[in-house]
Amino acid sequence: MQLLANIIVLGAIYALISCGYVLIYRVSRVLNLAHGELMMVGAYLLLTTAGMIPNPWIAIPVAGLLSLAMGALVYLLLMRRMTGESVLAAILTTIALGILLRGVVVIFFSAAHQYPSVPLGLHASSVEVLPGARISSLSLVLVVVTALVYGSLFAFLRLSRWGLRMRAAGQNPLLAAQRGINLHGIYAMVWGIAIFTGSIAGMLISLDAGLDQTLIMIGLKAFPGALVGGLDSLLGALVGSLIVAAAEVLLIQYVNPLLADVVPFLILIAMLVFRPWGLFGTREALDRV
Amino acid sequence: MNRTIALAAAAGLFGTAASAQDAYRIGLSGALTGPTAGSYAPAIEGFQLYIDRLNEAGGIDGHPVELIVLDDSGEASRGATNSRRLLGQEDVLLMINASLSSTFAPMMADASRAGVPLLFAASACPAEVFPPAQPLFYCTTAFGAVYDSRATLDFIEAQAGSDISLGLSAMAIPLSRGEIEAAEGLASERGMRPQAPTIVPPPTADYTPFATSISQAGADWVYSWAPWVTEVRTFEALRRLGWEGEYIAWAHLEAEGELARLQDPGFHAIGANSLFAEDLPVHQEIRAAAEAAGATYSPDQMAEGWVAGLVVEAALRGAGWPATAESVNAAMSQLDVDTQGLRGGPIQWSAENHFRATQYYRVYRWDADQSAIEVVQDWTPYTVE
Amino acid sequence: MSKTKLLALILAAAALLALPFTVSGAWMDIANQILLASIGALALMLLTGFAGQISLGHAGLLAAGAFTAGILSRELGAPFWVGIPAAGLTGALLGVIFGLPSLRLRGIYLAVSTLALHFLVVYLGGEYETRRGFSTGILIDPPMVFGIELWDPFAWYPVLLVGAILTYALSRNLLKSRTGRAWAAIHDTEPVAAALGINVARTKLWAFVITSAITAMAGALFAYYRGFVSIEAFSLFVTIQYVAMIIIGGMGSLTGAVLGAAFVTLLPHLIEGATRYLPTGGAISGSVFAMNYAAFGLIMIAFLVFEPGGLMGIARRLKGRG
Repeated sequence: MQLLANIIVLGAIYALISCGYVLIYRVSRVLNLAHGELMMVGAYLLLTTAGMIPNPWIAIPVAGLLSLAMGALVYLLLMRRMTGESVLAAILTTIALGILLRGVVVIFFSAAHQYPSVPLGLHASSVEVLPGARISSLSLVLVVVTALVYGSLFAFLRLSRWGLRMRAAGQNPLLAAQRGINLHGIYAMVWGIAIFTGSIAGMLISLDAGLDQTLIMIGLKAFPGALVGGLDSLLGALVGSLIVAAAEVLLIQYVNPLLADVVPFLILIAMLVFRPWGLFGTREALDRV
Repeated sequence: MNRTIALAAAAGLFGTAASAQDAYRIGLSGALTGPTAGSYAPAIEGFQLYIDRLNEAGGIDGHPVELIVLDDSGEASRGATNSRRLLGQEDVLLMINASLSSTFAPMMADASRAGVPLLFAASACPAEVFPPAQPLFYCTTAFGAVYDSRATLDFIEAQAGSDISLGLSAMAIPLSRGEIEAAEGLASERGMRPQAPTIVPPPTADYTPFATSISQAGADWVYSWAPWVTEVRTFEALRRLGWEGEYIAWAHLEAEGELARLQDPGFHAIGANSLFAEDLPVHQEIRAAAEAAGATYSPDQMAEGWVAGLVVEAALRGAGWPATAESVNAAMSQLDVDTQGLRGGPIQWSAENHFRATQYYRVYRWDADQSAIEVVQDWTPYTVE
Repeated sequence: MSKTKLLALILAAAALLALPFTVSGAWMDIANQILLASIGALALMLLTGFAGQISLGHAGLLAAGAFTAGILSRELGAPFWVGIPAAGLTGALLGVIFGLPSLRLRGIYLAVSTLALHFLVVYLGGEYETRRGFSTGILIDPPMVFGIELWDPFAWYPVLLVGAILTYALSRNLLKSRTGRAWAAIHDTEPVAAALGINVARTKLWAFVITSAITAMAGALFAYYRGFVSIEAFSLFVTIQYVAMIIIGGMGSLTGAVLGAAFVTLLPHLIEGATRYLPTGGAISGSVFAMNYAAFGLIMIAFLVFEPGGLMGIARRLKGRG
């Protein structure tokens, strides 16, 4: 039971982070390797707002809105200029952005380990979710938030007009542009949403565990999940994250905790050999890049 | 435009323009940026503050100490570049390493070649500084391999006897794994029942899976000797699983603030530094210096750097003027520095021992009634042989 | 060869030869790092810039070469002359493994599969270090070449210079050969290349094997040069630096790879030098270093956005104007 709870929590963390990779890739075919850094900046935004307004009901939404704006700005100011450049150049731009952000964060916030939960007066308590299985209350919040995010993303993509436009832009940008869809607007929105979800993940993790630069590495560790599921499928990101989380938790418990670090990538290699487009990805995505 | 920058940069690299001829030159390479900076940068800042204060007070017999600080981000190759630069270009009398253990090997090789002493401060003490010590390598850092585990297990035994199941937690870096594996052996010798060590990879999103395996194995006590993140997050994950045992971890520079944050009497921190809550004159001095300089880091994380400052000042004084690398090394190999209460006793070095003659340990925990940190076990000396 | 080009070449050769007599040890060390980086960047340029295959496993390959040399030297006392070719062989073997996914994958998917292999190599290296108790890295004694002990950067310079020139010459010849033309063909369009009778799979594998062998030898040289091997020295950041070198230098140009290697190696030093003259207002140096880090990212972004052709692009434009 405890193991199941652990798998679900870890899977939710990975899934909440990796939907940002998928959203951006699906619509603009760019792999955003600065996702971990942007997620960290989102968490530092919370640290800042928490320092000014010590009320979680205000500080968290304000930081969330700021991160939404940050995502859109990253597209409008930087990534927009990379349209038409090679895949590698676009990836490298995101990496360069990541390096820049790491430095900037140290300048403004120093490298010390800090706790946004302290000014907000939040304390994680232990909750019994299943008979014999306990998790931290913040982990419970994280699982619920992940479910909400995925639920609303599915609904948004399927049902709303903007969602339809997003899908159209992802499938055939040229045609979409000819039909009068504002591509830059769509892309900016997608970047905004992606960084928003990533930042929420960063905020929740840092409320539980504190905040420093290691958050970036966690952002990177969520990536195999997205790939196992298929980089252009949201459902895939969810399932893939759960698979990777399950493998990790079971190995830690029964084999050797050290393997936890490599196994996501082993699953990834197996996946790339047998079904490179991922569990739920579309096959033609392979040829497009 | 580009050319001006290049020229300015070249000038910067060639000449440390304002370098006074009458100064003691020392160099430091440390992890000021990068993912592990949080464990080293505060100590480096403390060291810089000490040297600045020393210079403001007129230096050493009228000679200022010129400190060259280089960043290695905790990367071995940058550490190597830095040590070549400090030795080949800046001609320093003494090098200081405040970084990850992966930077040790290149700096040690270069220091040996050049015959310049190398002090480890805030970074782990390598085997070479323990008796029989190799010449040129010294260490002021509070923690020391094997002695820490011995003191910890003594404490656990005094508290709970030896009929206990002992959980062990390490980070997946060689240093921490090695120490915890050594502790496993020591615990077996005492008749304790140690679990197989749980080794946590550094970037970990959720510590619960690791804590689950410790908790389900039924640990009464858990001992962790690792970077602070691993120590404290394993503990927090254990508590959230409903585990009610006792936990002991090495008191890194974060310890003081963290004990107050956790407020859990079951969390023991064993360490060799005194805490700022004691408010000794030396603590007030560090606070004042940090405040005056507008320091980035909290003064209660600067003790390591201050201790290094005390030692470096004593070494340079002992070397006299004009100092050479040899005279500094000679002074260091017979040093006796009063730590003014920052440690349980003096730091004494001899030709054989570059760690310290006696290592003192204290155990702290949070006292819920007093709402303050209490000393569970006062300074306990261990002779280093 | 035109007269100006010949003149430029002679000047460059003279400068390279005169360098050791005019600079300090620290600058010599930086020059050596540039030469080492050039070898690795040339290898990556062959793969990415000419054969069109993306790899994010470069640091893993450097690590594999460095560890081969380190383990051979430490466990068997093998000399320099054995360590370097052995590293090359390990690299070639790994190249086959790294290259296999390329038969099915392209673009981002290929990049990620090489990234996964990077983590595997790093894991194995770390396990070796821990198991053998080399927790602070494996020390390697300075190699002897023609009876000279290679420790001093001045002693290393000629060796590394020869290594870099050999790599450059080899790459040039390779590109003129059948293999090079086949690479160019698969770079443009694979189906057309196949229609032309080029064995696409074999051509791709060759590209990976050659690149990996050279990279692993560069890794081994790095290990001998530094006198130690430690797995922490081969983080993902190293891969990023190499990819940055070939992009900043200019894709599809060997000279670009060398220029990029020089630029990326020098950049932190230039930034550090430049920031010394900025008013820091008494700030403690920690934030100065964070500024260096940020500036590195900023300059990379500036190149990618404003000068996608890289340094070679700038050079071509200047030439076109003049």
